[in-house]
Amino acid sequence: MYFQPKNLDEALEIKAKLGADGTLLAGGTDLVVGIRKGRTQVSNFIDLSKVAELGELQEQDGFLRIGAATVHRRLESCAHKALADAAATVGGPQIRNLGTVGGQIGTASPAGDVSVALIALNAEVELLSAARGSRRLPLADIFTGPGKTSIADDELIRAVWVPHGRRSEFYKIGKRDAVAISVVMAAASIGPSNDVAIGIGCVAPTPLRCRRAEDHINSHGLDGATINDAAQIVREDVSPIDDHRAGAAYRREMAGTLTKRLLWRLLHSKGG
Amino acid sequence: MTRRQLDIFNRQDQAAIDKTAERVRKTEATWPLRFTVNGKPVEVAVDPEESLYDTLRERLRLTGTKGACLEGECGSCTVLLDGKPVTACLVMAPQVAGRKVTTIEGLAADDRLHAVQESFIAAGAVQCGYCTPGLIVSAAALLEENPQPTADQVREALEGNLCRCTGYTKIIDAVLDASSSGTEDKANAGVD
Ligand SMILES: Cc1cc2nc3c(=O)[nH]c(=O)nc-3n(C[C@@H](O)[C@@H](O)[C@H](O)COP(=O)(O)OP(=O)(O)OC[C@H]3O[C@@H](n4cnc5c(N)ncnc54)[C@H](O)[C@@H]3O)c2cc1C
Ligand code: FES
Ligand code: FES
Repeated sequence: MYFQPKNLDEALEIKAKLGADGTLLAGGTDLVVGIRKGRTQVSNFIDLSKVAELGELQEQDGFLRIGAATVHRRLESCAHKALADAAATVGGPQIRNLGTVGGQIGTASPAGDVSVALIALNAEVELLSAARGSRRLPLADIFTGPGKTSIADDELIRAVWVPHGRRSEFYKIGKRDAVAISVVMAAASIGPSNDVAIGIGCVAPTPLRCRRAEDHINSHGLDGATINDAAQIVREDVSPIDDHRAGAAYRREMAGTLTKRLLWRLLHSKGG
Repeated sequence: MTRRQLDIFNRQDQAAIDKTAERVRKTEATWPLRFTVNGKPVEVAVDPEESLYDTLRERLRLTGTKGACLEGECGSCTVLLDGKPVTACLVMAPQVAGRKVTTIEGLAADDRLHAVQESFIAAGAVQCGYCTPGLIVSAAALLEENPQPTADQVREALEGNLCRCTGYTKIIDAVLDASSSGTEDKANAGVD
């Protein structure tokens, strides 16, 4: 069956009724491809394209609140550099005009460029259900495995909240410049009290937030020595795999290298 | 072109394309879809689980839109959705309800080809031509937004479109020719 709710309430109601048997459809760039490849079976589509509320992008309470159906293209010009840069590297223009932030989080791929940038910006995700209303939690906490999240069967992603006041950087290694899934990618940010956050992609079953490296810097300060330590910690904490795009050893090495590079950039642009 | 790009294009799977066409013809069209195609409002009954690509080709017989990978990778099925380029193979038909779709057939006005179509012919930017409709649609969207793109901006706008035959150089030249920046930038465009 194919459902096309006209607003958020209707969407929540249908999702509550169908539970796990109702598959949310946003841009379709993961879902439709999954169906074509035979990886995904869908019994009921819940098409979100007419739910206007999900496309809202606004400033609210010191955050940028990004509606789940916001397409990557719209984020290319946003003020958070890591997010803008990550959004600009997704697929080609056609994919960026379709693919949404909510869909990227829903897919829960460790190679999600935008997910990694959001994690490194300390973003929170707002989930909504008819029965329990909304709840907000750190984005990094909802990824539980490849393709798995802790989003409940009657919930949908309403929005992502990105706090203002953090400087951020993103770096992606792909096989070529365009329409290339990342081989390794990372993002980092620094807040007003010089606290850092680090996100790394393609090196673990989920987009990875590297808390141990963050803690090290946050208790010893950001300088050349702690940056080297952080890179080492990242290399210890990642668990990459070999696949047709790259080997695990290369990914581990580069995860550290990207961490170093991003933290140096944040250090150099300090106060600037 | 990398090996992987070539693989994607070569994967043009006639069997898969025929299968979807067959399925579209067989399934009952139960979903009344109203949208605007090339400036004209249309009402067509579709299977809600078919793609916009299927609706355009199989139901509306707008066969200028080509398909190869059907997975969003090659861009040959590019159409404009509310003026923005998208891969029609990834859009579910009901998603375009109430919206505007422009296909390659909609770019020419009356008897006059679109400037990008003219310049593709003049520059010889076409070999087998299979990728051409998608490329022209992407290029037309770029020029609408940015009438004077640099060569790099042209490359960026076309990064989601693969061509198996040409070296892209003439394609980029053609788009620059059609733009109001014209030949000036072309001289500095260089070759990849
Ligand atoms: C050719 C191609 C190239 C790509 N390149 C890149 C790349 O370089 N980098 C990258 O990161 N990604 C890339 N992607 C994937 C990227 O397009 C997706 O991750 C996209 O962001 C998914 O969004 P969508 O709206 O298309 O999701 P959909 O495909 O519509 O949905 C994806 C999943 O999320 C769920 N979902 C959708 N909306 C919600 C919601 N509101 N609440 C809860 N669950 C929801 C769906 O049920 C589904 O399980 C590429 C895809 C293609 C086809
Ligand atoms: S057919 Fe290749 S992108 Fe649609
Ligand atoms: S694929 Fe033959 S001309 Fe581009």
